[in-house]
Amino acid sequence: MGIVNVIIIVFLIVCAIAVARTRDLLSAVIIFSAYSLMMSVLWLLLKSPDVALTEAAVGAGITTILFVAVISRTRRYEK
Amino acid sequence: MEDKIVKTITRIIIPFIQLYGIFIILHGHVSPGGGFSGGALIGTSLILLTLVFGIDKAKRKIPHNVSEIIESGGMMVFVAIGIVGLALGGNFLANIETGFPLGEPGTILSAGMIPLLMIAIGIKVASTMNSLFHLLIEGEIHEDN
Amino acid sequence: MKIIESIMENINYVGAIALFLIGLHTVVTHRNLIKRVLGVNIMGTGVLLFFTSIGNVAGGEPPIFIPGSVPGIFVNPLPSVFILTGIVVVVSITVYSLSLVVRIHEAYGTIDQQEITEMIKEEEYHD
Repeated sequence: MGIVNVIIIVFLIVCAIAVARTRDLLSAVIIFSAYSLMMSVLWLLLKSPDVALTEAAVGAGITTILFVAVISRTRRYEK
Repeated sequence: MEDKIVKTITRIIIPFIQLYGIFIILHGHVSPGGGFSGGALIGTSLILLTLVFGIDKAKRKIPHNVSEIIESGGMMVFVAIGIVGLALGGNFLANIETGFPLGEPGTILSAGMIPLLMIAIGIKVASTMNSLFHLLIEGEIHEDN
Repeated sequence: MKIIESIMENINYVGAIALFLIGLHTVVTHRNLIKRVLGVNIMGTGVLLFFTSIGNVAGGEPPIFIPGSVPGIFVNPLPSVFILTGIVVVVSITVYSLSLVVRIHEAYGTIDQQEITEMIKEEEYHD
């Protein structure tokens, strides 16, 4: 596996830990959006372009917007 | 939102997003992508319309009952194409045995009935994503009780 | 030195297991419901990454047949198809859980697991 693959995996793990540690839910959702986008790059490296396309549209687009919509109706900060 | 720059840019960019979604749907059988990805792209453009111009204008463009009809219609078209395969003497969703014109491989008019299925799935997914977002932000889930 | 080489060769599997465990930890230890749904999403991507790594072949090409060209070594297309279904399932779970979170917030006024449990206990005590 190439060095790009290792860098992307490290980025993903750091993003996942940041999502778990952030108290502000809106920041956590935006970090999760960056996580999804990097995941779609990793899937392009793993030679499955249709999964990459779907992940970029769904993970970084639809899921983020739905989370933001729900946060706007509930509370923003975790106690 | 009363921002002129955002409104103008959105008005310019929405047709291109939808064109790309339609491209992904129509080339679902010869290149990466397909009904779900293209439908999700078109749904994202409709959500962008709702975010920028407000829920009232979006509801006027695509009312909720119209969106319900479109969702059920996409599903029904999928099942109907499957039953055509059953009626012509094959399995459910049979493609080659039923004599659909297969066309030349690699061109857009090929693969029998798969493009029709892709179009049905794309329309259904786009409408579903739009109505999910509308339901989540306006709280019609609560009023149903 | 050998163990580092082994980790570098199997970095995708290591990453998949790490992501799954981080997501599981988020689901188990946090009390906020939205944070738990985020944890379920991270768990899902970890599992999907594991499946894609199994289907990958070193030096393979994407499994797209172009007419008139000589096909080389393709990667296994079956895990990709499973993963497309998996992404749809993860999105469905997310939307369903989020609608439940909205309903819970309307009913109890909070999305904290412990406060909701205390409220339910109090209701039962008064009954």
